Amino acid sequence: MAEEIRIGVFVCNCGSNIAGYLDVKSLAEYAKSLPNVVLVKENLYTCSENGINEIKAAIKEQGLNRVVVASCTPRTHEPLFRGTCAEGGLNPYLFEMVNIRDQCSWVHMQEKEKGTGKARDLIRMGVAKAALLEPQEPIESEMDPRALVIGGGIAGMTAALALGNRGYEVTLIEKADQLGGLLLKLDKLAPSGADGCETVRKQADLVSRHPNIHLMTSTHLDEVNGYIGHFQVSATTNGAKTQFGIGVIVVATGANVFRPAGLYGYDGSKVITQLELEEVFKSGPFAAKNVVMIQCVGARNDERKYCSRICCMVAIKNAIEIKEKSPETGVRVLYRDIQAYGTENEALFQHARELGVIFIKYDPARPPKVEEGKVVVHHELLGREIDLDQDLVVLSTPLVAGDDNEAISKLLRVSLDANKFFLEGHVKLKPLDFATDGIYLCGNAHYPASVREAVSQALGAAARASIPLSKGVMSVEPIVSTLVDEDACRGCGLCVALCPYGALEIVRGEKGRKVKVIPVACKGCGVCAATCYHHALSVNSYSDAQIGEQIRAYLEESA
Amino acid sequence: MQYTTDVRIIRLMCTGRVDPTMVAEAFMEGADGIMVVGCHFGDCHYISGNYQAKVKIGLASKALGYVGLNTGRVVFNQCSSAEGDRFVSQVTAFHDSICAIGPLGSAENLSLPALKDRVDTARTALASEKLRWVVGKFTEFEKSGNKYGEKFTAHEMWRTLDTIVIDEIATHGILKEMGKGAASVVELARRLEIAPPEALKYVLALQRRGLVGLAGVDGSTPSYKIVERPARAA
Ligand SMILES: Cc1cc2nc3c(=O)[nH]c(=O)nc-3n(C[C@H](O)[C@H](O)[C@H](O)COP(=O)(O)OP(=O)(O)OC[C@H]3O[C@@H](n4cnc5c(N)ncnc54)[C@H](O)[C@@H]3O)c2cc1C
Ligand code: SF4
Ligand code: SF4
Repeated sequence: MAEEIRIGVFVCNCGSNIAGYLDVKSLAEYAKSLPNVVLVKENLYTCSENGINEIKAAIKEQGLNRVVVASCTPRTHEPLFRGTCAEGGLNPYLFEMVNIRDQCSWVHMQEKEKGTGKARDLIRMGVAKAALLEPQEPIESEMDPRALVIGGGIAGMTAALALGNRGYEVTLIEKADQLGGLLLKLDKLAPSGADGCETVRKQADLVSRHPNIHLMTSTHLDEVNGYIGHFQVSATTNGAKTQFGIGVIVVATGANVFRPAGLYGYDGSKVITQLELEEVFKSGPFAAKNVVMIQCVGARNDERKYCSRICCMVAIKNAIEIKEKSPETGVRVLYRDIQAYGTENEALFQHARELGVIFIKYDPARPPKVEEGKVVVHHELLGREIDLDQDLVVLSTPLVAGDDNEAISKLLRVSLDANKFFLEGHVKLKPLDFATDGIYLCGNAHYPASVREAVSQALGAAARASIPLSKGVMSVEPIVSTLVDEDACRGCGLCVALCPYGALEIVRGEKGRKVKVIPVACKGCGVCAATCYHHALSVNSYSDAQIGEQIRAYLEESA
Repeated sequence: MQYTTDVRIIRLMCTGRVDPTMVAEAFMEGADGIMVVGCHFGDCHYISGNYQAKVKIGLASKALGYVGLNTGRVVFNQCSSAEGDRFVSQVTAFHDSICAIGPLGSAENLSLPALKDRVDTARTALASEKLRWVVGKFTEFEKSGNKYGEKFTAHEMWRTLDTIVIDEIATHGILKEMGKGAASVVELARRLEIAPPEALKYVLALQRRGLVGLAGVDGSTPSYKIVERPARAA
């Protein structure tokens, strides 16, 4: 036991992110005075190759057996530094991270002295905890190499095909009675001009004939249990229940079109949505003589703050379509801002103007008024109200979160954003993953997207999902519950009843009834450890002693 | 986004990890306030850890309140990882309220050693089997009822919990006082600031459980002591 504890502390400047607001030199100096600390280094960027190499070298040369990095957030950098320790020959769980950027320099920008004082405390707390850390070995378990895709729109079909083509078995669940999603209702697709229905029919055909894809239409997803590599799914198709196992999940459930009930006299015949206009195109010749489109209906307001991204493109596309079908029809688009991003959308916008489509800016404080035979709008440049003739008004409404998002987010234990769209694990670093391992997202389920964007995301999500699938064996973080005091356990089962993951069971052994942890199922939440009145269970790297030491280290100094 | 430098964050996997005794211990170490921040209900990254946490923190707050700690010093808040602004406003509000309450001991009108001694009694009660079971079963009962299928509202449950907390604290307080030497019921009642008949009730209950026995009789006043028991067999 009594191995001497040798802690190395690496204090990061994060360029000027930390050093600009905290006195990093004094922090490094302070760290030297802490118990068990044998080495302190200050780095410009600890996560750079230089910094990493310094850690590795120090482990070897200084015989470090604990490493503490005081830098940014463990959310993004803990895996990197743990890996560094492993490469340097130190068990990666003998590493502790102290967040002096998000918790100090960024939030105390105007209080250098106090912020530095707080960072000193945090480093002292981290060092105190580090001294009590224990090595852990990764937990390995077999990976079920099959995938589930939820939603059979263009995104879901693309993801299923990509995974199927890589050789993985895929189950595709679609709640409707046919594949295709929103595109089934669309006419021509911008910017290519391809037919919406035909585009999805081609994909649907590939999906239904694919030997690796098991298609389940008219199917309701009832339950999902388990974790990456070992999910158990139950679903119902026309009253018949099925259950099966899979290893990863792709969410591609799309979005809904906002129905503008009560807005601008919407009635579905004379005042319609862009989606309904596409249906008009599909149903035959176009008869209206004067069309007025209104943008941002029900979007970018207090209730729905976001921009739905695709509606400007859709309005431009459909304005051109009207002009092509019926050149003498007048088309006016009332907009707040035109989002014609990218070369192709901009070209379409210019083309629409060449065809005589008129774009008029309106002020949301003075919205247009739809009246009998006309739309009255305050023209910003003329500085007065003008009347526009109309025999058809088309409202551009945003895509809104799907009906099932809340239910699915509960089933899969993944998050939604403020607008109830699915929330990715990290905006920049994990845009196609959920925070929960083994679950991915693509298409409109995430946020309004064009077909091309939805397809790129689907290909990306399939690529992400195939990383664990290709591994065969999966290793799980060993930050899990452990029976640290078998004698203390009375086998009462209280912890078993409370574990949210079914990761505990009572087994009868030589010593009588005792609890047993199923480490691959355990997520390390600690509910059990916080419940057992005999302290028989503890969570690796978050033991009572380690947490207690952190608290003590903070309060001893400031007391 | 800026907030007070007076807070230190202890990272846990889930608020479900917060053992109510940890809360008591942090006050014994001298913390002025403790805020536990977890996910929103229904959005817990660990499914239901936050329901557990809410009850555990609520219980800790009750127990600490009974021994004289200002209950404003313990709060349970909810905030998602995407709600930085909300976190800042929660921290700021909590900091303001702690500043108003003042440093540990001041609002309580107690010296630090006296307060810590009392908090220690709450800690023992929070570690006890009885309170742990009640907390453990709280969320379950609330959702699916007890084994007779009777459901309870949170309000009813908290009321039940209240009496259990009072009983447990008195019981552990008595055991602690007796740990210092044999004492009469009147003396115990005086030290614990409860009515003598109440104290007698707890002493007799402890006697029935075999934890406490008669130490002797001084005049007509019996005094009681702890019954030494063999250490638990391994
Ligand atoms: C009026 C309009 C015009 C548009 N025009 C264009 C255009 O010209 N060009 C362009 O690039 N894009 C256009 N778009 C955008 C395009 O529709 C989307 O990019 C595309 O539909 C995204 O596909 P998706 O698979 O993500 O979602 P969806 O097409 O919505 O498909 C989702 C699928 O998931 C299914 N589902 C939902 N919940 C469940 C569940 N719980 N279980 C099982 N299945 C479920 C649904 O039934 C649906 O089949 C337009 C959109 C609108 C509204
Ligand atoms: S670990 Fe604790 S709570 Fe779980 S069965 Fe054993 S004694 Fe009961
Ligand atoms: S740490 Fe959480 S998931 Fe793991 S066994 Fe305990 S209660 Fe279950």
